[in-house]
Amino acid sequence: MPGDKDIIISEGVKKWFGDFQALKGVDLRVKEGEVVVIIGPSGSGKSTFIRCINRLEVHQEGRIVVDDVELTNDLRNIEKIRSDVGMVFQQFNLFPHLTVMQNITLAPIWVRKHTRADAEATAMALLERVGIPEQAEKFPGQLSGGQQQRVAIARSLAMEPRIMLFDEPTSALDPEMIKEVLDVMKELAQSGMTMLVVTHEMGFAKEVADRVLFFDYGAIVEAGTPEHFFTSPEHDRTKLFLSQIL
Amino acid sequence: MTQTAAPKAAHERPPFWRDATVLKWAAQIAVLLGLVFVAVIAARSAARNLEAQGLTFSWRFLSDPPGIQLSEGFATLPDSGLEAILVGVVNMLRVTASGVVAATILGVVIGIARLSSNWLVNKSSTVYVETIRNIPLLLQIVFWAAVFVSFPSLESEGSGPIEGWLYATNKGLSIPWFFPREAFWQWAVFLLAGAIAARFVFRWRIKVLEETGHDAHAVGYSLAAFLAFAFVGWFAHPLAGAIGWIFGGLAWLFGSIPVLLMQIVLAALAVGLAAWWIKRFLDSLRSPAGLARLTDDDIFRMGLAGAMGLVAAVVFFLVPGITEGINLGLERLFEFWDTKFDFLRTGTVLEFGRPTVETPGRFAGFGLTGMTMSGPFFGVWMGVTLYTAAFIAEIVRGGILAVAKGQTEAGLALGLKRGQLLRMIVLPQAFRIILPPMGNQYLNLAKNTSLGIAVGYAEVVAVGQTLFNQTGATIQVILIWMGFYLLVSLILSAIVNWYNRRVALVER
Repeated sequence: MPGDKDIIISEGVKKWFGDFQALKGVDLRVKEGEVVVIIGPSGSGKSTFIRCINRLEVHQEGRIVVDDVELTNDLRNIEKIRSDVGMVFQQFNLFPHLTVMQNITLAPIWVRKHTRADAEATAMALLERVGIPEQAEKFPGQLSGGQQQRVAIARSLAMEPRIMLFDEPTSALDPEMIKEVLDVMKELAQSGMTMLVVTHEMGFAKEVADRVLFFDYGAIVEAGTPEHFFTSPEHDRTKLFLSQIL
Repeated sequence: MTQTAAPKAAHERPPFWRDATVLKWAAQIAVLLGLVFVAVIAARSAARNLEAQGLTFSWRFLSDPPGIQLSEGFATLPDSGLEAILVGVVNMLRVTASGVVAATILGVVIGIARLSSNWLVNKSSTVYVETIRNIPLLLQIVFWAAVFVSFPSLESEGSGPIEGWLYATNKGLSIPWFFPREAFWQWAVFLLAGAIAARFVFRWRIKVLEETGHDAHAVGYSLAAFLAFAFVGWFAHPLAGAIGWIFGGLAWLFGSIPVLLMQIVLAALAVGLAAWWIKRFLDSLRSPAGLARLTDDDIFRMGLAGAMGLVAAVVFFLVPGITEGINLGLERLFEFWDTKFDFLRTGTVLEFGRPTVETPGRFAGFGLTGMTMSGPFFGVWMGVTLYTAAFIAEIVRGGILAVAKGQTEAGLALGLKRGQLLRMIVLPQAFRIILPPMGNQYLNLAKNTSLGIAVGYAEVVAVGQTLFNQTGATIQVILIWMGFYLLVSLILSAIVNWYNRRVALVER
């Protein structure tokens, strides 16, 4: 259950790509341990927003504070936040030239300065947790999409992050593999991880989310509990969107 | 369970004029025969023309004194045509090897610089690439050779920035150098052993690192092992002279083995090689379940390999000259190496030489002098290095850009620093993309050194041309050129292919 502390604070975040304004002032406070699901049509800025949180995109106006550290041009702050915030991508982005084990242990060894033995023990435990310990010595190209995404989750968890960002984690998967990834994410949510999830999986949102946000045209149109959201949405745009996908 | 009849048509052979396998192999054999036919026609017409001009096709010029002087090389007054060509070959390989190293370093640096977000670095490397690769290489080589000529002239007294140590003159750039002496190769045995030991030490320390997690100083340890061998070898090298016995024995063996016995050995080798290839081929088709069904293609291929082995074996018996030549060559080779080793022979390993001016305008050519880089060498080397580096820069830039953006993002999201990201994620992946076109650039560089003829650099084309002007052996020299460049190209591409396979990504 969510704690009291605001671990992510976003105030009036604006972002332009050239002339196109992708974010038009996003205000959001996420409590520690909260699971926030972001939905919305494509091009609505939801991915851009979560990519701003670990500064894969740079916001031009407004303020983002993650775990009491403000995201500015200070490289030390950026590095601190990136190593505390895990991210899972739509395209997995595993390193194809490294084995599963090397993928997971790379950052703990080089960023956290753990010994190889420690990092490998942690990695094995995480692979057990995501259910594929037998794949440790394989290369990403030898795994199925669902397995790759689970490795990607394990790779992020190996850094012991306080927050996990998921950018459409199941959109590139075959239907029969979506469940295995969602199961891992559910288990993670129940363990008390703070999660920001951009997804089109409404079942996941209903079951796991503490709060659902609806993004459109670069701003949060509506926010609320899943119950409120899926039974009595207020805004017309939300209703229209839900009627199209449900 | 329902029994379905096997589709019959699939197992029936089509008539041979519609059989894809038969047609494919027939086409290959036809092309081969066509090529042989053209070659025979060309050879006969060449022979007729030579005869009409009163020339004879002979390889005697290789052993005759050529009566030419070369501008640089290990023998500037060669005793035989063969030696002259070897001087050219060594000169060509010298400028190729140093050019490949320099062009790679420069090209990688400029390629990365072109991706820099620093405006000045980015633009200046762009200007470099766009300028250099749009100027013909020949002009660049001539330009750099001309730059060299504008250096101060070499006088006996007071030339060079540092008298007796460093000269930068129009006759060459000369620096002090080490020269291997009579005991050098005995010491080299220790260096080789040291390198092997260093490899084992390195692996051992890496294992320690992985087991304990503490830094095990793998590089330091292996370097220390190598230096220890080098140090001990400096004094103990007379012991390594015992290797001479092996070379002596081998020289005696090839000198006294009857030709017939050697023919049998060589024929057995040819047949054995074919058999080994066929076995390996079959193994590659074997899965845990058993041997895969052989296609007609596979059978043709194995048949061809077997036939080639047999033909080679028969040729060894029909032409004893080949075997005699191999025997003689190996005997000479091992005799040569035998002279470099002598058990308990003491002597100097290395000696230090300083540049010496023999007469005004001329460096001492032999003995303990410095190492001199000549103007023509400088011209060719600068030309091919700068030119090839521009192309390598583009290949490196393309390779880095081809690594998916998501890889960088994933690395950054994990908290890796820019340098770590480049070193551990981007470059290893870019390298796989870069490698094949890079091999092409190395081949180009090797072939472009032949432009050295324009500035009088004594590489294999220049030497060959001088040689056929003297002896009239035009066709023979052209054949040697073709054979040589083919050999260099094949070796280079074999290395690149081998490495490419080694670093290929593992997928399903």
